[in-house]
Amino acid sequence: MTDDTTPMTDGGTDEEARTDGGPPATVPPDDETPTWSERKERSQGLAQLTYQYFERSRREDEDLRTESTYVERDVLGFPTWPHETIRNLAITSFFLGIMLLVASIMPGHFGDPANPGSTPAIILPDWYLYWSFGLLKLDPINPDLAVLGGNIVMSNELLGLIAHGAIFGVITLVPFLNKGNARRPVEEPGWAALGVAGVILAITLAVLAIQNFFPVPLELLFSLVFMLPVAGGVITYAVLKTMREGYMYDLNRRYYMLRPPK
Amino acid sequence: MSLKKQDDMDHNAWLKSQDLTAIETAFLTTLIWLDKRLRIVDYLELLETMYYRANLQMPKSHTEQYDLDNKFWYWYPLYSLGSLSIIAYLLAAVSGALLGFYYAPSTAGAAAQGDPTAAYDSMVMIMTDVQFGFMLRSIHRWSAQFMVAAVFLHMLRVYFTGAYKEPREVNWILGVVLIALTLLFGFSGYVLPWKQLSFWAAQIGVELALATPIIGEWAAQLLFGGFTLGQATLVRMYILHVFVLPFVVTALIAIHVGIVWVQGIAEPH
Ligand code: HEM
Repeated sequence: MTDDTTPMTDGGTDEEARTDGGPPATVPPDDETPTWSERKERSQGLAQLTYQYFERSRREDEDLRTESTYVERDVLGFPTWPHETIRNLAITSFFLGIMLLVASIMPGHFGDPANPGSTPAIILPDWYLYWSFGLLKLDPINPDLAVLGGNIVMSNELLGLIAHGAIFGVITLVPFLNKGNARRPVEEPGWAALGVAGVILAITLAVLAIQNFFPVPLELLFSLVFMLPVAGGVITYAVLKTMREGYMYDLNRRYYMLRPPK
Repeated sequence: MSLKKQDDMDHNAWLKSQDLTAIETAFLTTLIWLDKRLRIVDYLELLETMYYRANLQMPKSHTEQYDLDNKFWYWYPLYSLGSLSIIAYLLAAVSGALLGFYYAPSTAGAAAQGDPTAAYDSMVMIMTDVQFGFMLRSIHRWSAQFMVAAVFLHMLRVYFTGAYKEPREVNWILGVVLIALTLLFGFSGYVLPWKQLSFWAAQIGVELALATPIIGEWAAQLLFGGFTLGQATLVRMYILHVFVLPFVVTALIAIHVGIVWVQGIAEPH
């Protein structure tokens, strides 16, 4: 037992009890360690910048590691065998079973052969593309210009395509617009409301695609397609805000129970 | 040191020194004989280790460990949706490979407009003549639908748990590409039987492609093999569905899951 035993986070100092096998096995960048640029002379251009960055970032890691009082220990985890394996097997067989069951009781029907000469009354893709199909029926909001004598600026197909692009674009940008480390919807009611509105919009657009099956005037249906998502978003926002107040109330109550106001 | 064979462990002498019954002697002799040849001891050791592992205490659950609100576990099943997408994808791949043995991507054979084509006939053949074929097609269709549903829901779970935030932006973008390709998978598969609905769905596809500014005609040529639908369209959808997309999507899923592996699941807090 050496004298310079550092205390461990659990309070003990017993070297035998160290579960991490001692200090980190990585070599600190002292004088004897060749730097990235020494390993291979890279003196110009992007290669040099890359290796300069690697040096910096390794330095940063090392500094963080030396400053830290954190002692690495065995991870308290969920064992792969048998817990995780059995759980996964159970989930997998359950899900496979459901799929086979559904496939056997609802085999689906098979339509007529293709006939390029006769357009069917109802053209529909599978259900998961209904929202996309709905986006092609946006012609009532296709902008027209007085200069063009009330002619539309772009074809309805192009409008639909642009709508698709906008939706995929917004979804792609989400991680760059919403930063921070909040995870729960209550922490960010606005973003949760946006999500709920998006889900409802997907559903209402799907309904728009199969409008023929709904005995609602087209005008009303079209308004609902856009009003319902907004309504859903507002309700979500209100509910989450209220929940947040509730949490704050609980916290405050506990606080004042511990420290009653004088 | 001599080269003479030494018997450090004289098992036979040990056997003799014990006071054993006939059964015990027979058992031990056999065991020693087998062990000398097959190292049974090693396997017994493995079995023993497994036995002790299997009887481990359950470790602290995630919620206990991080002292989370104890209602949080409701959400945990939703974390399996990504895996469910993969399971459904695999089932679709297996059943699809089997369907591929019988399906013919050809519009030949229609004497007049509206007559069944070879593709249509091969589907009918699968459903009526092939053993288990009706079920096979049903499995393929349903696993595809389950996959799409699971992918949609997986995306929602990632969104509502804020799991896309730094450093997981790349995986989110990969996910957007994956969901688009999954939908394309569904679309191209829908065209293959060359039913009325397949044909007219593809027709809308061509019209959309043609409506794209600048690259429209080129895109229509590339994806649909022309501006009117026919044999070329069917073959292109077929190659997309059974060759291009399987490779691309499988590779992207591998990268997607590889990144999750490296970064770890975003912890709820
Ligand atoms: C073919 C489709 C997809 C497959 C097979 C797939 C598979 C997976 C798997 C197995 C995980 C591990 C965690 C979990 O299961 O929840 C995961 C995580 C993740 N997925 Fe997907 N995914 C797909 C599509 C998507 C989509 C559409 C998005 C979003 C646009 C997405 C974004 C993410 C992100 C950000 C993570 C990390 C989440 C975390 O760390 O908690 N994935 N994916």
